[in-house]
Amino acid sequence: MLNASHIIKTFPGVQALRDVSIEVRPNEVVGLIGENGAGKSTLMRVLAGSYRPDGGSLTLDGEQLRMRSPRDAARYGIGMVFQEQSLVLNLTVAENIYLGEEDRFTRFGIVNWRAMNAAARRQLAKIGIDIDVTARTSELTFAARQMVELAKALTLEEVVERQLLILLDEPTSVLNAADIEVLFARVRSLKSRASFVFVSHRLDEVLAISDRVYTMKDGAVVAEHRAAEVTAPELHEIMVGRGLQAEYYREARQQQPRETVMVEAKGLGANGAYHGVDLKIRAGEIVGIAGVVGSGREEVTRTIGGFLQHDAGEMKIAGDAVHFGSPEPAVRKGIGYVPRERRLEGLVMFLSIAENISLADLSSVMRHGAIDYGKERRLAADWIKRLRIKAPGPDAACRKLSGGNQQKVVLARWMTAGSRILVLDHPTRGLDVGAKEEVYELVRDLSAQGVAILLISDTLEETIGLSHQVLVMRDGEITARFDASPGKKPNQVDLLRAMV
Amino acid sequence: MNEPFPFRQVFEGKWTQGAIPLVLLVALLLIIEIAAPGFLTGETVSLLFANTAVLFILATGVTFAILLGGIDLSIQAVASLASVILAQLLPSLGLAAFPLAILSGLAFGTLSGIVHVKLRVPSFVATLATGGVVTGLALWVSDGRAITIEEAGRENTAWINASVAGLPVVVLISAVIGIAAFLAQRYTRFGRQAIAVGAGEPAAWAAGINVDRTKIIAFAASGMLAAVAGVVLAARLSSGSPVLANQLLLPAIAAVIVGGTAITGGLGGVARTAVGALIISIVRIGMTFVGVNIFLENMVFGAVLIAAVAITIDRSKIAVIK
Repeated sequence: MLNASHIIKTFPGVQALRDVSIEVRPNEVVGLIGENGAGKSTLMRVLAGSYRPDGGSLTLDGEQLRMRSPRDAARYGIGMVFQEQSLVLNLTVAENIYLGEEDRFTRFGIVNWRAMNAAARRQLAKIGIDIDVTARTSELTFAARQMVELAKALTLEEVVERQLLILLDEPTSVLNAADIEVLFARVRSLKSRASFVFVSHRLDEVLAISDRVYTMKDGAVVAEHRAAEVTAPELHEIMVGRGLQAEYYREARQQQPRETVMVEAKGLGANGAYHGVDLKIRAGEIVGIAGVVGSGREEVTRTIGGFLQHDAGEMKIAGDAVHFGSPEPAVRKGIGYVPRERRLEGLVMFLSIAENISLADLSSVMRHGAIDYGKERRLAADWIKRLRIKAPGPDAACRKLSGGNQQKVVLARWMTAGSRILVLDHPTRGLDVGAKEEVYELVRDLSAQGVAILLISDTLEETIGLSHQVLVMRDGEITARFDASPGKKPNQVDLLRAMV
Repeated sequence: MNEPFPFRQVFEGKWTQGAIPLVLLVALLLIIEIAAPGFLTGETVSLLFANTAVLFILATGVTFAILLGGIDLSIQAVASLASVILAQLLPSLGLAAFPLAILSGLAFGTLSGIVHVKLRVPSFVATLATGGVVTGLALWVSDGRAITIEEAGRENTAWINASVAGLPVVVLISAVIGIAAFLAQRYTRFGRQAIAVGAGEPAAWAAGINVDRTKIIAFAASGMLAAVAGVVLAARLSSGSPVLANQLLLPAIAAVIVGGTAITGGLGGVARTAVGALIISIVRIGMTFVGVNIFLENMVFGAVLIAAVAITIDRSKIAVIK
């Protein structure tokens, strides 16, 4: 029914989709897998009308699709359940389900709430979900909100003649096993009335629910399988698609850490997000934390970066007990935080490369108490050369750089500030393969210079490949510790066992 | 897409928003010179500067608040209060009334900053409220009346209305303030951090900048300069009044924005405000010249402000305009 052929989508510095073709047949669940940055979400957004492709064509039952917005997609019967939920939390369930469709319940400018609530109730009943439609959405659990989103997408049935196509973008990433089963049961029962595209990076789930699976890699579809004819390990190999893991992560350059303990936590706990965390990071050591969303590893990294206060246990930086209330004292202690949200917390996007590099330590470019613009520019030019940052020059605005080059600017800033401890929060998210390798190279350089590094990452391979030591967290606790010296790297299955 | 001339790129350039006002200023001066040849003599130019001084000092202060991505709506109230304090205290304290009046501005500016930062109240609400408190205080202290600076007091304000080497003292005062503010904004840690906070607060915070302190300093500076403007105005008019600076908030903010500082923060500076203040001043003189009713001035400034923001706002930076 849906045919996407030769879709191309380019963002500044990144070719997100290069010549992607997929089709979705009636009453079918199509799985879409790939690593972060493979282009899954971009493709979904193209199908949902949020992005306009730069090339290629989209047809639905032979009809050319012209979509400028998700609203246009809705007219064709294409609905999306978003990865980051798109519900307005302080509206009721019914208001959310019919958000933007109030006209259907409006007479003389007045909304008939009773009719809307009744319609919402019918809609939820159809998928067999029992939720109070007058409840505020913020009061629902995450899983229940996901169901509301699904119900919302299904309301298209009431206004569109043809069969619906529902796009599910990583709907399971924050659900627990029981909720996932409920979701899958719904999808199976709805298959008679709609087709689905299901995106996830959990391969078992994709195989369990899908009829057919497309594997994406670096912005292209590299394989298509019938779900019954392929196994998760096979898919994994295609998805990752590189044999020489050790070389990719520069394992040969992994050196013995030094003696000095740079970060030490004892019985650390915060806000119920995590508790009893003990960890030590030595100079030159890379410690990775593995864990699913909600395991508490994000909060541990944010505590060490100074973004989150701990309320139990103690933390020592280079031997001094600390209690950070904001990143400022952490930076003064020599900690540099490389955030996942590069565009929000990593760089001041509207300032230049030079201004971003000097930001954490202005004294490095000051002379006689005043900022020396020449010195600042020379410093940036020097980093641009050393890190091979692709940019017109030190005055270029950071928002115009590609993700990999932005990440290098963030690292250059912390090196300028002389950080002895780096917290890498998903340092390669959204980067293409080449940029990733450059970041790995840099991480190894820093480690060789004695910088202590805490790492959390999207993939287990990256965590295992880069780290000297891997900690596994589950439900706010450390559940396992693995030595990850070269040649003795733990395998993913061991880690996974401790994670879930 | 191949454009014959990269208009977009030029307009997106950082310097463009600073260059356009300068071109506008020169164009305005040329128009005046053509309409009234001989207008641009040393005397009229020095008069123009003198008439711009108060507006410029006010606008310089609020520039810091705007650069941060905030706004200070209390400046006219603070300036008026300072004029009242000066007029009240001159007879008894003499010259010591000046620092006291200016300190009142510093105090209320700091208060606005602390309310904004510590109670997490948006700056427009915090300063609107502080402005109300300050106006109330000024009305109470002055009993709601203008206070004329009598002969005895005028001895101590005469120096402000004097000239040094042919230059009015008010021009010298605003030049000193302008240069100090320019240096503070461009060459100090505070100035750079203020720009960074305005351009991207979460990233600035994550880079270890003390955002709270930077904001409090900016609002303190804004309050203090508002008080300086109030004191100068009082000396020039020989009067202090709780409503003395009431018509100055709009032109001051218009001067900042017309000069090329982004209302969203992070881009601009004191030098641009100098250009903006001169533009506003010339427009005002031009209106008097052409015979526009003086009561209509703020109508024009309101329109100018809206136009300036609408033209210059960077829509890629903000998704939702509240």
